Amino acid sequence: MNMVRTISVHGYEALTKALSGIQGSVYILFSGSQDEYGVSWCPDCVKAEPVINKNLEKAPSDATFIHCHVGDRNYWKKQDNEFRKDPKFLVKCVPTLLKFGSPQRLEEEQLFKDDLIQMMFEED
Amino acid sequence: MKRQSLGRGSSSKKPTSLSTLFSLSKNSTSSNPSSSTSGGRNSTLITGTVVTSPSTHISSTSPSTHISAISPSTRTSLAKDLSSYKKKSGILSQKSSKSTAAFRSMPPITDGVKLEVQKIINSSNIVIFSKTHCPFCQKAKDLLKSLNVKFETFELDLNDKGAEYQAALKDLTGQGTVPNIFIHGKHLGGCDDLLKAHSDNSLKDIINKMADIPQYDCDLIVIGGGSGGLAAAKEAANMGKRVTLFDYVEPSPIGTTWGLGGTCVNVGCIPKKLMHRAAILGESIHEAKAFGWDVPEKVKHNWQTMKNAVQDHIGSLNWGYRVQLRDKKVNYVNAYAQIVDKNTIKAIKKNKTESTMTAANILIATGERPRYPDIPGAKEYGITSDDLFSLPYCPGKTLCVGASYVSLECAGFLAGFGLDTTVMVRSILLRGFDQQCSEMIGKHMSNHGVKFIRGAVPTKIEQVEKGEPGKYRVTAVASDGAQIVEEYNTILFAIGRDPCTKGIGLENVGVSLNPNNQRVVVDASEKTSVSNIYAIGDIGDGRPELTPVAIQAGKLLSRRLFNSSFTTKVDYTNVATTVFTPLEYGCIGYSEEAAIEKFGEDNIEVYHSYFMPLEWTVPHKEENTCYAKLVCNKADHERVVGFHVLGPNAGEITQGYAVAIKKGATKEDFDGTIGIHPTCSETFTTLHVTKRSGESAEVTGC
Repeated sequence: MNMVRTISVHGYEALTKALSGIQGSVYILFSGSQDEYGVSWCPDCVKAEPVINKNLEKAPSDATFIHCHVGDRNYWKKQDNEFRKDPKFLVKCVPTLLKFGSPQRLEEEQLFKDDLIQMMFEED
Repeated sequence: MKRQSLGRGSSSKKPTSLSTLFSLSKNSTSSNPSSSTSGGRNSTLITGTVVTSPSTHISSTSPSTHISAISPSTRTSLAKDLSSYKKKSGILSQKSSKSTAAFRSMPPITDGVKLEVQKIINSSNIVIFSKTHCPFCQKAKDLLKSLNVKFETFELDLNDKGAEYQAALKDLTGQGTVPNIFIHGKHLGGCDDLLKAHSDNSLKDIINKMADIPQYDCDLIVIGGGSGGLAAAKEAANMGKRVTLFDYVEPSPIGTTWGLGGTCVNVGCIPKKLMHRAAILGESIHEAKAFGWDVPEKVKHNWQTMKNAVQDHIGSLNWGYRVQLRDKKVNYVNAYAQIVDKNTIKAIKKNKTESTMTAANILIATGERPRYPDIPGAKEYGITSDDLFSLPYCPGKTLCVGASYVSLECAGFLAGFGLDTTVMVRSILLRGFDQQCSEMIGKHMSNHGVKFIRGAVPTKIEQVEKGEPGKYRVTAVASDGAQIVEEYNTILFAIGRDPCTKGIGLENVGVSLNPNNQRVVVDASEKTSVSNIYAIGDIGDGRPELTPVAIQAGKLLSRRLFNSSFTTKVDYTNVATTVFTPLEYGCIGYSEEAAIEKFGEDNIEVYHSYFMPLEWTVPHKEENTCYAKLVCNKADHERVVGFHVLGPNAGEITQGYAVAIKKGATKEDFDGTIGIHPTCSETFTTLHVTKRSGESAEVTGC
């Protein structure tokens, strides 16, 4: 079965690098990075992840899914970090799932809902 | 991330969706998809029990065979059966005995709580509000179990909001005790009422007969995804109803189209206010110099940058509406809907595929679209407000045809960007608005670079040059017969709007239209001439064409439709509004001339004053431009029947006063109010010059 391509990146630099030259729809999930025990500092991210993964099969097969780990809590809490400031992303909270280059985004509790995630993955 | 997980999942968490309150098995006759979804996350909230034994009593109705077999009148006769039953059992009479001392000690009942209770009532065919230790509740449950019927139980004592729900139930039904039993959404009563109904053999009839109500695909079909349609759909869904919303945007003559949300969001209020803001900022940049800012002599505006930013915001709103609808389980269909019969619509998708759908109620909320004049070249070369806000190129030298608020607002911000802008007016400015204030708006615009051609109408438009923008020759004729010829890059028609009541099958069911304007004739409860078809928003005959009016109408309509105890109708009087011309104009109630016509010249006292915003003094902006006017009825304690303000932020000023006017404020109330200094709005607390006195309303000094 043709599945969406999945990439995992850590930090802003890695994300911008991953984005260069990508064709087709790109979905980016921003979530809190994991600590040395493999646990994210962001409980909502932990909760959202399996819901998103379960619905990835609904995404267009030529799409790319980038899971971007934004960094540790201290970095994220800085109100002027790159993810918040870059006009391409303007991420306000984690977890955020967005369709790159479109106004479509889902945040926090919205990402616990299959319905809403599927709507984003559906073609218009 | 805004919130940590602390507290999440505890029983104090408010359920995000009431449909998740029950994850119990459903009565098999229920075809409500929204209530059949179970929310595992909220499983701690499930407090009821249910009889799950297979029921033969009420599962015998097959929805598909009953659609045509049951006459619509059956529903009314069944409702009558139930109400006469309730009268017999004395339930209705309890309603009058309200507000006992014990009841007063209960928590206050908010609309939100009532809505939650209504949603529980609607969630199943039989619902019992009970308490776990109540012997009467047990008795009622046992009886229903013995009858082998499915029901749902909501244990008030196991829910944090139980006391609030009980108070709401008392308010809704007059019954403050448990068990409180509802069958098919109708209040039956308590344990005694259930036993009585059982003993006189009417209980099975009520359960069975009510189950024979014709089954439709949905409870409500909404045609039109604008402000009104969305509000109605969301509110109905909040109450657990099955709702389908159809929205389809017919492209404009030059091919402009847009997303979900209707005129306001896509081609109206939202882009208009943002572009108005862009123009005001340009003006402020020049004023900034006087306040010490070192600003370059020449600042330039970039149309594309603004247009893209505005469209990005609109895109996020379109998406937000889709998220809301999906989240509330409203079935959104991007298709053109036509009414086939009073319960059926045909939907045509963009790819021409057709489908039909049935509903108990249909709501028409299709709004309006701009009108074109019937002259050569109008549709080929002209644009309207449907196109302007997403125009890919700067419109250049522009002619705005018409003196509607749409025309003046567009001309205002285009001139604000430094574009050569002309308004062509047939007769008066802003018909229906206060004419003194309208003329003051026109004067202010003239002083700020907008050219006016009064008493003229265009007769033809010819293309001179193709391009983006192109160049067009406009020929117009003045009232004295003189011909006017001028070339423009863009011609914007804003001569009025026509309701979208053609081509949606209204003739198939006989929905009455006003023959003069093709608007839908509606009663105070938004009902059309067809009993289960409603119309809200701009298409309603005589309704103010304003987004918040449509939202209120949609919300209240859905509450009345799906909550029999809710009767509030929209109060269409004294609706405040604001015209976002460069000099903003806010108003409430009567224009001066309409007040004189209504109450008589002798009964009208007009208090007025110019005012100078403090912020305007330092950059030496023009004096005697901003204006405040109160129109009062002397025959009624100088009650303020008309409020008018011209000045910066008029919308923000006017909204607050709308509450005062709604509460019947008099001139004395305004005088007794202490102002906030230094503001523009404080002018209204010190108005003392009457027009009758002939004294000057101009201001000098401070």
